[in-house]
Amino acid sequence: MANLPRKLELFYDVLSPYSWLGFELLCRYQNIWNINLQLRPSFIPGILKDSGNKPPALVPRKGKYMMMDLQHLKNFYQVPIRIPKDFLTVILEKGSLNAMRFLTAVNMEKPEMLENVSRELWMRIWSRDEDITEPQSILAAAEKAGLSKEQAKSLLENSSTDKVKNKLKETTSAACNYGAFGLPTIVVHMDNKPCVIFGSDRMEMLAYLLGELESLSLSIIKTDIPCPTVLPTCQTYH
Amino acid sequence: MSCLPRKLELFYDLLCPYSWLGFEILCRYQNIWNISLQLRPSFLAAIIMDSDMEEYREKVGGDQRIQVPTKGIYGFNSYLEKLRKQEYMKNELQYLGKFCQVPIEIPRDLRGVLIDKGSLNAMRFLTSVHIEYPEMLEKVSRELWMRIWSRDEDITEPWSIQAAAEEAGFSRKQAMSLLKKSSTEEVKNKLRENTNTAYKYGAFGLPTIVAHMDTKPCVFFSSDRIELLAHLLGEQWQGPVPQALKGKL
Repeated sequence: MANLPRKLELFYDVLSPYSWLGFELLCRYQNIWNINLQLRPSFIPGILKDSGNKPPALVPRKGKYMMMDLQHLKNFYQVPIRIPKDFLTVILEKGSLNAMRFLTAVNMEKPEMLENVSRELWMRIWSRDEDITEPQSILAAAEKAGLSKEQAKSLLENSSTDKVKNKLKETTSAACNYGAFGLPTIVVHMDNKPCVIFGSDRMEMLAYLLGELESLSLSIIKTDIPCPTVLPTCQTYH
Repeated sequence: MSCLPRKLELFYDLLCPYSWLGFEILCRYQNIWNISLQLRPSFLAAIIMDSDMEEYREKVGGDQRIQVPTKGIYGFNSYLEKLRKQEYMKNELQYLGKFCQVPIEIPRDLRGVLIDKGSLNAMRFLTSVHIEYPEMLEKVSRELWMRIWSRDEDITEPWSIQAAAEEAGFSRKQAMSLLKKSSTEEVKNKLRENTNTAYKYGAFGLPTIVAHMDTKPCVFFSSDRIELLAHLLGEQWQGPVPQALKGKL
């Protein structure tokens, strides 16, 4: 294809399970679609505060619905999500600030590792119900992703510098400037203007906008179109 | 296929453009999938208000009388106060409309249409149709959606509703009779009953789809879980405009 790849920014926070779904789907398609996927670690509480929105889990019915929804989606999209036992503490008290600062540091120093490290942090919080707030937790995820102990420690140190804190604020602001009120937020840079998509459930519409509908596997069960090999099966999760 | 059709209930309100998307997609698939689609006209404002009240009760605790904050009619303001969501919705609907081939156009005075005017009369009318002429419910719903969400026309006044009914195929006499029936207790109660049923299934908004599976009902919110629904039903998803219809749209 002679066209330049379309730039796609994915603003996400590892605290958000729907961000994980959107992330995995886009990672699978980044080498199939003519796109340039740019991961943008952001901070969801910053977005909620700026937009006046509140976490859906705080609305009792939405929280209950979300639990059920995630059970279906994890099977459908083959992402090994498991709800943490003490879900509200994980989301509301523990949060993800240190982890997102760490990912910001990774993005600045070793952007090629951002996908792997993000995934390992998600595996901790949203698959194995493990901590992501303590330094040792973050280091463990980083090493599992392939960073050496020294690299991981150095990035962790950088995480608490103003440079990294400001970068996280800046990325979060950028999402807000695009009109984000939650995460994941995907920004597709179309010819005339950016197209902003909220949530992980607009992939088909996104494929349509990109002119990539034919290469979209419309059903995870349908086998006419081969399932992308980037990260299809649960066996690759350890 | 020798299996009995799976019952699918679609709880919807005309006020909600996402309800229209869900409605059109399911209507397209009702003769392709082995399903029995049952349309359930409901009242969104009541669901939102009940959901908000439940949230306040849980915060306050017990059965205390709570001062419901001035959030506007039925708490709907809380939904649209978040201007950013409103802006997002306006943009997104243009793309979704094209993708799903549903001719959605945002009303000029969105807030006026959603908050000041609402949909109570129209939903009562649809409930009346549901009771008397259920086979016409799909067409009348569509004509009312075309008014509010495609041509930016009123759906609150009797003559507006009558026009939609006649466009759908009713005679003037039938339309007037159904309008008269709309304000009876029978119809008001039926609308409340549908709305409460959605609420009991856990609805916090519309559209809400309830698929009656073998073991238990599966509840889906909004119009973007239909691909997942297809997977759970063991049916094939062909996108929002299935092949069988491509020539006809």
